[in-house]
Amino acid sequence: MTTPAPLLGVTGLTKAFNGVPALRGVDLDVRPGEVHGLLGANGSGKSTLIKILAGFHDADGGTVTVAGTTVRSPFGARGLRDHGLGFVHQDLGLAGAGTVLEHMALDSGGDAPGWSRVNWKAERRRVTELLERFEIDVDPGAAIDTLTPVQRAMVAVVRAVGSQELRSGSGGGQILILDEPTVFLPRHEVGLLFALLRRLRDRGDAVLLVSHDLDEILEVTDRVTVFRNGRTAGTRSTAGATRDDLVQLILGARDEHVPKGDAAVRTDRPALLSARGLRGNRVRDLDLDLFAGEVVGVTGLAGSGFEELPDLLFGARHAAAGRIEHAGRAITRPTPARSMEAGVVLIPADRKGQGGALGLSVLENVSLPFLAGRARGWRVDWKGLARQVQDTCDRLGVVPANPQAMFGHLSGGNQQKALLGKWMDTDPQVMLLAEPTQGVDVGARREIFVLIREAVAQGMAVLCATSDYEQLVEMADRVLVLDGGRISAEITGSNITKDVLASAVYAEEAS
Amino acid sequence: MSATEEKKAQQEKEKEAVRASAAPAPSARRKRKAPAEPERFALLGVWAVLIVAFSLVVPQTFPTAANVSNMLSSQVVLLILAIGLLYPLRAGDYDLSVAATLNLATVVVAVLNVQQGWGIGWSVLVAIAASLLVGVINGLIVTAFDINPFIVTLGMGTVVQGLVYLLSNSATISGVDRTLSDAVLFQPFLGIPIGFFYALALVVIAWYVFDHTAFGQRLLFVGQSHDVARLNGVNVSRLRWRSLVISAGFAGLAGVVYAGTTASADPVSGASFLLPAFAACFLGSTVLRIGRFNPWGTLIAVYFLVTGITGLQLLGAQQYVQQLFYGGALVIAVVLSTLVRNRGERKRRAEAAAA
Repeated sequence: MTTPAPLLGVTGLTKAFNGVPALRGVDLDVRPGEVHGLLGANGSGKSTLIKILAGFHDADGGTVTVAGTTVRSPFGARGLRDHGLGFVHQDLGLAGAGTVLEHMALDSGGDAPGWSRVNWKAERRRVTELLERFEIDVDPGAAIDTLTPVQRAMVAVVRAVGSQELRSGSGGGQILILDEPTVFLPRHEVGLLFALLRRLRDRGDAVLLVSHDLDEILEVTDRVTVFRNGRTAGTRSTAGATRDDLVQLILGARDEHVPKGDAAVRTDRPALLSARGLRGNRVRDLDLDLFAGEVVGVTGLAGSGFEELPDLLFGARHAAAGRIEHAGRAITRPTPARSMEAGVVLIPADRKGQGGALGLSVLENVSLPFLAGRARGWRVDWKGLARQVQDTCDRLGVVPANPQAMFGHLSGGNQQKALLGKWMDTDPQVMLLAEPTQGVDVGARREIFVLIREAVAQGMAVLCATSDYEQLVEMADRVLVLDGGRISAEITGSNITKDVLASAVYAEEAS
Repeated sequence: MSATEEKKAQQEKEKEAVRASAAPAPSARRKRKAPAEPERFALLGVWAVLIVAFSLVVPQTFPTAANVSNMLSSQVVLLILAIGLLYPLRAGDYDLSVAATLNLATVVVAVLNVQQGWGIGWSVLVAIAASLLVGVINGLIVTAFDINPFIVTLGMGTVVQGLVYLLSNSATISGVDRTLSDAVLFQPFLGIPIGFFYALALVVIAWYVFDHTAFGQRLLFVGQSHDVARLNGVNVSRLRWRSLVISAGFAGLAGVVYAGTTASADPVSGASFLLPAFAACFLGSTVLRIGRFNPWGTLIAVYFLVTGITGLQLLGAQQYVQQLFYGGALVIAVVLSTLVRNRGERKRRAEAAAA
């Protein structure tokens, strides 16, 4: 049996951002007539590779070959599109009000000047033929808004295929890269998309499917490559691989349990924050109790609903249904203001867009919750606030320890410390954290963990929503794993290890 | 001018270099003073140069007490309108209906006082109330349906202007009670008409509200990011609504003063204040507190602009210089504030890369 030459070959590709390596030399080959999976934990280098191929970043070293021909870096703004690569990104790149036809006609314009006439008749013929060929039951005149999520995903895939066919003038032998296209799809509809991918494979295309989901990878791919810490950890034939093999490849060597301080959980008292039958965009009928003195982690795959839990509990996003109680007192319609009043605070994941105002000073950002409390009559006590904020910065080691510094000029870790200090100063009962160490350097990460554990020892309750298992191992007293909006597993105490978490998160659906 | 600017830029570059070389020091816990930012005073400098230049070129007419008094009092209506506009701008919203609201107040005063024979006091009160109502409706539409105030106030302004034509029968109404003119235009204090001091008081109040009250600080956060404000427990909708009501109230006040200065009301001429008011606010945001709409900066911008226009007119320039000056100032001010913001962005990225 001869192995076909790869359509897309990547050898020893490296890339560093500001001296921090993201890719330390990855290898990957995608052959014609296969669906190839790409797996890896967060930060393993998957997205960096895709972004290099798509032209967002330039590689530092290594080679990329397309159909046997080496392509020189840099690839330019259009990336490898002109060499026959089609891309479907997670957000699909479709605008809601436009029709399927309009989106696809956009691609056939090519280098034609802006005033050239669009031949709508020919476009409609081409698009209709394309949709029929791939057995997609969508009207070319339908607006994207009116399609189901999986129809949108399929349109995005066919659009990429069609655009490449226009370029090469023929069908087949193309390379299609899908970056986590299934995250926002309902589970039962994913099969339709996979059927489409198989059709592409069967006509000799090469499909690279980036995913977090082991089940999907096992179901649809022929081979799978796993990245770990910016290197290729291995490539396997999917037919012979098991879940455990893949988890092992993703995580590397089995990790040892890291002991952390004893929990001071007070389950004898009523829960500080509880939710019953909570429903959101993804969360489904979720019950939850947060007790004084514990850190509860929530995690899951992207789209499983764990990400929206802090927002729902805080009232930053309104729940579709459910009851929320603060220390036994029911809150009819939680809003951020009401939650803050009850001692519940939120540190959102989007630090730059939601956490702080980048264009204002640290003093202004940190003092916002205290303006009314520290006002003397009608006058804000800026002197007192400046002292308080200076003290907070000193205590938490915010660098520069200068309240007048622009918040946006601080590093991610220092921004997060400043925000943490701000909310700690309000003396909260419950702190809701969303990805609290995203974009935070290792040193600050450590300090943030220590600060949170200290506050918890004083009787605070913390909920931490994150996809960073290591953080949960270091910080959480118990971890709730979400799947399809419901809690699928609860892991407590010394059972919280990266292995256990990973297998719970990647567990097959108990259906 | 350009030579000094070049020199300034050079100095800035050197300072940046020094800062950059000092930045990686690990013992960064020393307190850094806020950078001096000489650009904060650039407009004041240009203003001073203008004053000196005109005083030298037209010494008989420009640097006279009469001219100064005239310049100060002629801008009272514009200044009141611009100060009111600062509130929604601070919250990140445009209010394009202020000029029509100004016309409305002027015409209501004249119609009630002249045509209906009401007392001037009641006429003024009703005019202010009508203006506030415009703001209430603006705010209601903007917050209840979450629509961009730019487009809402553009439409509402046109509706209000239509009402103004209806009320006034598209004609100028003259003969407004002299007491109003006395109250806003005459009664000079220190040789300057009293109206100027009303406007000055509003500047001081706005400064106090913006810099020393929780309301002003929250308004600033709303303008920076609705999400950040909301997640900090700020009622974003209520604040935006209030700021639109305030700007409408100020527009009404400006309209009343306008009726006093001319002792009459015509349905159109107030529209000519819209662009100068925005020009003053944006130009003002490049002075004293760079990148922030601020009342003292607005005051300086208003009088900087009128100095230029008056001087050129004394030199024989025609009416058109007003358009050139105000329009040019608005565009230049927006460009300047964007440049300043981008510079901050670059600096931030450079620092992030160094860290």
